[in-house]
Amino acid sequence: MKIGRKRKGKAEIPTSSMSDIAFLLIIFFMATTKFDVKEGIRIVLPQAAAEDTQQAQTLTLTEKEMTRMQITADGMIVVNNEAPRTFESAELDALIQQKLKVNTEMIFKVITDRQAKYNDMIRVVDRLKAAKIEKISLSTN
Amino acid sequence: MAKLKRERSRETNIPSGSMSDIAFLLLLFFMVSTVFVQEKQFWVERDRWPIAESIERIPRNHTTTIYVMRDETILIDDVPTRIDSAEDTFVFSTLVRKREDDPEIVVCFRTDRDTMYGVMSDVMRQLQDANTLVVAFETQQRRD
Repeated sequence: MKIGRKRKGKAEIPTSSMSDIAFLLIIFFMATTKFDVKEGIRIVLPQAAAEDTQQAQTLTLTEKEMTRMQITADGMIVVNNEAPRTFESAELDALIQQKLKVNTEMIFKVITDRQAKYNDMIRVVDRLKAAKIEKISLSTN
Repeated sequence: MAKLKRERSRETNIPSGSMSDIAFLLLLFFMVSTVFVQEKQFWVERDRWPIAESIERIPRNHTTTIYVMRDETILIDDVPTRIDSAEDTFVFSTLVRKREDDPEIVVCFRTDRDTMYGVMSDVMRQLQDANTLVVAFETQQRRD
């Protein structure tokens, strides 16, 4: 008896629409993607004051060592004991450079009023950071 | 009479065999880089952040984000809270726990630019108490 040999059918997976599917998925991801990059002004806060008062030190700094920049509730800035006034960014840059001429290791203390806007504090800290100043102290009154 | 030669139209083929490879590469890129940002009830839109010039990139690992809204609501770990008195120490306790998990933690502030500084000061006081001292104020890049 003759046994018939089965013909092997060629099995193929249709892949022609694969790129269409891929492009549809790409469009979906392109439309929904939000690049959440973290960028900002980095500051290292000082350690909390020790409760043990014997460990706490009191330092008295002169104007040659530290510049006080007090931000008032209405956004004006009091530099050391001068009269409050508004500062444009360029004026702030000039002031910082002037203080750095006196002392390149100058400490800048930014005292922000509790009622002042956060944006006003950031504006001052931004100019200090732009001048490559690392010794920045943040406080409030 | 000269015989005019008829130009043979050549069949032009653009090879499209590698099209799906390219498509899948792009697909993989977008799949890997996509972060699904869920709009929350408490949220500070990017255009409400302050604008600054001297900003630096903050690596995403080791970071935690605190949102501070204009109405002084603070959002940490998706939990809204407020600091109205000395007893409100949710920020402190959360950060103590986070610092135990990751000692190199950086706290990123996403704060509305019109927020009063007082609430920021209160939050930073609790950060100092929790000994999480590295902070970053997230800002938009100034484009002049």
